[in-house]
Amino acid sequence: MSASEEVWIPTSCGGDYVYDAILVKKKGDVAVCIKGNEKSPMGYGRMCPKGQSGLMMLYDPSRVNYPLKRGNPMKGIGVDPKWQRISWEEALDIVTRKLKEVMERDPRAIFFQTTTTHTHEARVNFGSFRRAIGSPNWWVSGGAIHCGLGAHFAAGLYHSSWSLVPDFKYCNYALYWGVSKGHGAGHTSVPNMIQVADAKARGMKIVVFDPFLSAQASTGTEWIPIRAGTDGIVALAMLNILLNELEIYDGEYLKKKTNAPYLIKPDGFYMRDRKTNKPLIWDPVENKAKTFDDASIKDFSLLGTYEVDGIKCTPAFQLLKEHVRKYTPEKASEISTIPTKTIRRIAKEFGEEARIGSTITIDGKVLPYRPVASIFFRGSQGHRNSAWTCVSMELLNQIVGCADMPGGALGFPPTCFGHPETGQPYFVPTAAPDGLMIAGSWMYPHKPYPLNEPRRPESLMLKEMFPVEYYNPYTLLSDENEKLWEKAKLGYKPEILIAFGSNSIMTMANPKTIYENFLSKFKFVVAFEVYLTEFCDAVADIVLPDGSYLERLFPAAVMGIFNHPAGLGEWVWQIRQPVVKPLYERRDHMEVLLELADRLGIRDRFYKALQNAFTSQFGVKFPKRYSLDPAKRYTWEEICDRVLKSAFGPKRGLEWFKKNGFITWPKKVEEVYWRHFLDVRVPIYFEFFLDRREKAKKLAEELGMPDIIDWSRYTALPDWYPCQSHLEKSPEFDLYAIYYRHVLHTNSWTNQNTWLDELSHFDPYVYNIQINRDTAKKKGINDGDMIYVENVKGHKIKGRAKLVEGIHPEHIAIGGCGGHWTKGQPIALGKGVFFNELLEIGKEYMDPISFNQDICVKVKVYKA
Amino acid sequence: MVIDLKRCIGCYSCQTACRQNNFTPRGVFWLKVLKSEYGKYPRVLRESLPFSCMQCRDPPCEKVCPTKATERDELTGIVIIHPDLCIGCKYCTVACPYGARTFVEKWKNYFPGQPLTPYEKYAREQWIEKRGEGKNTKCDFCAERVKNGLNPACVDLCPTKARYFGDLDDPESEVSRLIKTRRGFQLLPEYGTDPSVYYLPRR
Repeated sequence: MSASEEVWIPTSCGGDYVYDAILVKKKGDVAVCIKGNEKSPMGYGRMCPKGQSGLMMLYDPSRVNYPLKRGNPMKGIGVDPKWQRISWEEALDIVTRKLKEVMERDPRAIFFQTTTTHTHEARVNFGSFRRAIGSPNWWVSGGAIHCGLGAHFAAGLYHSSWSLVPDFKYCNYALYWGVSKGHGAGHTSVPNMIQVADAKARGMKIVVFDPFLSAQASTGTEWIPIRAGTDGIVALAMLNILLNELEIYDGEYLKKKTNAPYLIKPDGFYMRDRKTNKPLIWDPVENKAKTFDDASIKDFSLLGTYEVDGIKCTPAFQLLKEHVRKYTPEKASEISTIPTKTIRRIAKEFGEEARIGSTITIDGKVLPYRPVASIFFRGSQGHRNSAWTCVSMELLNQIVGCADMPGGALGFPPTCFGHPETGQPYFVPTAAPDGLMIAGSWMYPHKPYPLNEPRRPESLMLKEMFPVEYYNPYTLLSDENEKLWEKAKLGYKPEILIAFGSNSIMTMANPKTIYENFLSKFKFVVAFEVYLTEFCDAVADIVLPDGSYLERLFPAAVMGIFNHPAGLGEWVWQIRQPVVKPLYERRDHMEVLLELADRLGIRDRFYKALQNAFTSQFGVKFPKRYSLDPAKRYTWEEICDRVLKSAFGPKRGLEWFKKNGFITWPKKVEEVYWRHFLDVRVPIYFEFFLDRREKAKKLAEELGMPDIIDWSRYTALPDWYPCQSHLEKSPEFDLYAIYYRHVLHTNSWTNQNTWLDELSHFDPYVYNIQINRDTAKKKGINDGDMIYVENVKGHKIKGRAKLVEGIHPEHIAIGGCGGHWTKGQPIALGKGVFFNELLEIGKEYMDPISFNQDICVKVKVYKA
Repeated sequence: MVIDLKRCIGCYSCQTACRQNNFTPRGVFWLKVLKSEYGKYPRVLRESLPFSCMQCRDPPCEKVCPTKATERDELTGIVIIHPDLCIGCKYCTVACPYGARTFVEKWKNYFPGQPLTPYEKYAREQWIEKRGEGKNTKCDFCAERVKNGLNPACVDLCPTKARYFGDLDDPESEVSRLIKTRRGFQLLPEYGTDPSVYYLPRR
């Protein structure tokens, strides 16, 4: 290409986990401009500031450009690693030798750590490599803390999706529980920003529960300041008001789309049919019990008690209705600080706006019209009561029947019938024998339902022994971990860590704890990185220079349940491709993994795992002609070509996608509002918890760790439990510290982006600590003062106070994950505030169901 | 131009778009998103106000310019700086009630203390070719894009579609209609400069 020639290359952004469609302009060999791609639903040409600042990352002089070897044998936080440049050959020789040695002994001793920012590549590329190696061990940097284990659990169970958004086209009234959706952070961020602005212009109201006046709270209809970690009890009180005071609920929906009519025995379990073992319901017309799917059912009883085979049974709905009576608005008000009358008013508005019974005709089909939504994510779910809090907020959607109905709460689309020409990608939820929904596509190996059958643990997190098989920060990171591994008779210890773009020293919890209890145990650490991070400095032996998202290839950047726009419109399948050849000696990590697989002799297993990953996560099946033949060695380009041709036919391989960037086709009403058309149910009653609790508890006792988690939380109906921060009564520690996601930053890696750093200096909040003006004055703190924030364990952070009115007086709010200290990131160095220093590891800081880490911390604040 | 404050969420996308399309050096933003807070807890408002050159119909910067370097283009209404005529006296910086002008002595690179990256070399070339150094600079509604029938970059990239660009002299244009129907207002009208940027109120 000549120096003056100009081309625009279509690809996917990767500044956040949004993966907007972008066009990158190249003049000669230099990328000079990024703009949105107008034709793709992933942004329709619009972009956020992070994506537009991508070239500052591509050309950052601080990028890792060559393989590096640690020159200083000492490891630890703050240790200078004395990096030495080595050749790729030497680096891969070392990595291969180390891996082979451990693989021969026990491949489970190899642990994988990946970023959340590039989720698809983390799960497909590194996930498949891990499976090929034969290790069950992995975690996601920030997972359990910055990510949403409780939210994914509830969204998965109820929507077969990673998260949910209002049906922006039709929704009139949305509750936002500590969630950004459409205000600059998180999944499908830019498509949501367009949609939320249109919805607000149309008149959609947004009521935001948040301890501070966030972007969504300040631009919403109403901000309701709330004490951190108490959203769950407010949602339960609202359920109580709707079910018992106002008697507003969608009986038709509950009968057909949930387990509300299932008969429950006095022992809490379903009353089941003797012959088929299927759960029974009560048909009030024929006055008899029938299996839930009996074609002769005239109606379902939701209330009352009935006798079946001499046993008194109650419909699950009746139990829920009675159960929530104890959550009075008065009690919720005392705990959340929201006035009782406000809780009552919002519950009433939500119930009335749901317009239960109304219908809408879309594309000739008559559907229920329920223009309300209860939406939750990071803020409300980041607590010790994460799973039940999310279920409580979700139950608001369920009882008014708005889940995946026009106007209601939609998951990122979990139902796709495929491109009209090929029928691929294909994923559709199905029903389990008990009628409850099984997701068609999912991000974890284990689907949200049915729950994991507890079994002897194999992984360092011991996750196989728990009903919900997510990351468990306690079993991995506490100072008890070695004892637990011994009790579980794992028979191995961590030896090698392979990291992809993640900075776990800063992104999990207090760095000293993470290092001493866990990371220091590894004998050999290799990191695929774009920047030298605090993690690399502390523990990496080898750093391999990865291509950035503008230098890598991936065939499926956008699809389905993770970050695809919801609602009517178009499906889009989009690729990521290099806009420049990886600069210096950077290499696309996938080329490196393919080479390593060959060197290790695991090519066949790697190919197989890759194919499985594309099938389970993206709904693509490989016809024989495009299956990967282990006798052949393919380049990553050739593999991507086969994935694309499998999904879209022989004419639409990699060359086609390189030219076009993406393919779209219209969504069908039956896909978008799938719930109305599919015969699947979701739980308002968690019968399955009772069985799994007993099994898991028994196993834990056998393993000599009966108290590994609080088993009493596994009940059939949701409750609210306080966070550790709520239980801390020392008057000295009088404030709750929370952190939030800001539009200018993604996790910890954008702090090094020089444009975003410059913009952050314009923002009054993101690099500072927001504190209520009156609260600050009482402590003698003035605007701009340097202050310490200290937790009960003595861990403290320093930052600049920003005195504001827009924050609940009991709270301080910190943006993003700042406060870097590595010399490898000179722009980020010392900017912003390092919240995670305050997070402790312990059972008392973790949700025993989803294992979500609590991120509200009780602190004292004083002048530095 | 019309900016709908009901749609704007203050995400800084326009500020970044301006930087990316005009190659403004480190420390210089022609377009800024100002954040402010009003009221007393719990009745508080936070607002974002994106602003840049208002392309006034009666621009004070034009009047004070001793070399006629600043000129309002009659056809488009855009206030242009001719860098070859600008002597960098900064009278215009002082005269502008909106603080929309920035004098740029030298194009500063984005990575302090580092040699220029390939991108920065390109950006600096573009800047020097179009704006020069030792000159006064400001937003010109991406005049080059507008000449080619495009919108200013901030309009096209805004993720909430909060910006509209059109002909204020045409009473039937979308911008004119929005100003009329949504109570569009100008900033600091008391200075009598008749800005061409209108805002639509949030509520």
